[in-house]
Amino acid sequence: MADIAIIGYSQSPSWREAELTEPQFLFPVISEAIDHAKIERREIGFTCAGSCDYLSGQTFAFVMNLEAVGAWPPISESHVEMDGAWALYEAWVRLQAGDIDTALVFGSGKSSPGNLSEIYPLQLDPYTLTPLGVDPASMAALQARALIDAGLVTEREMAQVVARNRRDAMNNPRAQVSGDFDEDALLAEPYLTAPLRKHDLPPISDGACAVILATADKARAVCERPVWIRGIDHRIEVHQPGMRDLTVSSSTQIAGKNAGVGNAPVDVAELCVSFSHEESVLRRALGLAENVKVNPSGGPLSANPLMAVGISRFAEAARQIAEQGAHRAIAHASSGQALQQNMVAVLEGD
Amino acid sequence: MSASLPDETIDPNAPVANMDYFMALEFKETICPVVQRYTDGLLAGKIIGHRCSQCGLVYVPPRGYCPIDVLETTEEDEVELADRGIVTNYTVVTPVQYYGQEATEPFAKVSVLLDEPGGMLSLQDVLEVPVEQVRIGMRLEAVWVPESDRTVEEIGNRSWGSADGCILGWRATGEPDVPPDQFNDRVF
Repeated sequence: MADIAIIGYSQSPSWREAELTEPQFLFPVISEAIDHAKIERREIGFTCAGSCDYLSGQTFAFVMNLEAVGAWPPISESHVEMDGAWALYEAWVRLQAGDIDTALVFGSGKSSPGNLSEIYPLQLDPYTLTPLGVDPASMAALQARALIDAGLVTEREMAQVVARNRRDAMNNPRAQVSGDFDEDALLAEPYLTAPLRKHDLPPISDGACAVILATADKARAVCERPVWIRGIDHRIEVHQPGMRDLTVSSSTQIAGKNAGVGNAPVDVAELCVSFSHEESVLRRALGLAENVKVNPSGGPLSANPLMAVGISRFAEAARQIAEQGAHRAIAHASSGQALQQNMVAVLEGD
Repeated sequence: MSASLPDETIDPNAPVANMDYFMALEFKETICPVVQRYTDGLLAGKIIGHRCSQCGLVYVPPRGYCPIDVLETTEEDEVELADRGIVTNYTVVTPVQYYGQEATEPFAKVSVLLDEPGGMLSLQDVLEVPVEQVRIGMRLEAVWVPESDRTVEEIGNRSWGSADGCILGWRATGEPDVPPDQFNDRVF
């Protein structure tokens, strides 16, 4: 596979309730990513977006997001009803063809207008699970309980993950939840859905993220510090969560192996840890050494713009390499219930 | 969201062949500042648009940007628009009596290209004109809801083209039709 590089990225802040419309807050994010890559808008050969109309409650809402791209004269574009990480994957595949050299990918979402605990069950089996109203917190609580019962994680370790993420997020101007929190104080809080407390859940966020990809020649020509995608893979597990062992993530494990995670030491990993216990599952699935720093940005527990939170892991991991001196980083995105579907990419500097 | 309760007349031992499942999702949208200015204008009897400083196209309701030139637009780009215009495009809807459908007779939804400085309002209702007489090029004027009865509750951030609650619909002015070659690049 041809090496593809990340040559630019931009993220909006993560807002609890954005005052602007999705195209309005996408507008500067896309422009900034293009400026960051030091290219002209017309150099982009392919555009791919990730969003979910269920979040905003309007069919074809994704079409309006294109207004922030600049689609005249007509452009070549595509959309995935998924996190922008999967738009990035589609563009990575598209760039392999070699006839174009630059792609714009982005993810965006406004979670604030609707009720996520009612929207999410619609992705489940419509006969047995959707009518039960199995929301993400309930599903995550089942997974956390399975992990605790198996002795793979403790509630204290989960609180430690939260405290660490919120402390790290104090250095991230785009984060929504940050601060110095004492883990004993966190553990003293009541359960929301046992064994999860409110802080074990991600915030509800609106926001967007855009990334510019380029082929090797193009990246060398325009970018001082390209971030190379050395491997990328995504795998999906069976839809019915009752048929899975929730204490492991076999899809992450396979995707990580195919992406080449274990081929060399990893400096830092930006993982889609939306619920605190998931860090333990993902660390084990990827075989990360204990010294690997996870989510220096504060991760999804600090900023969770749905449909942009996965592609934000790519932006944050690339930022670690381009701006913070890391050499080899993991970007991970997740979709579905209880880590059902997972994407893993290995990013490297020169 | 709620699942329907089991019907007690159904034999609990019979195989399940059908399952009713009624659900609804509620969304509560905060009107963005640009659309807020537009709705405030409608309540005062004015149609406000944004004119792109580069290409001159007028957007109504304003969006806060010109998607053609990828330029942000602001209050400085606001223009007050005419409440008269030309039908450039229309659809006759023949209502199917699905659950919740209130209309029974065919009706037209038209795109109205407003007189200078321009702007296009789509999906507008035509009043006092039989459906079969709606045609491209006919001149219309807005019929405003009386000021005290105006409401903007139906207008959302993405309801482009909507003046619901403030403009009741559009009626023919009786002026001669405008030939299509004068607006054939402004159909939608």
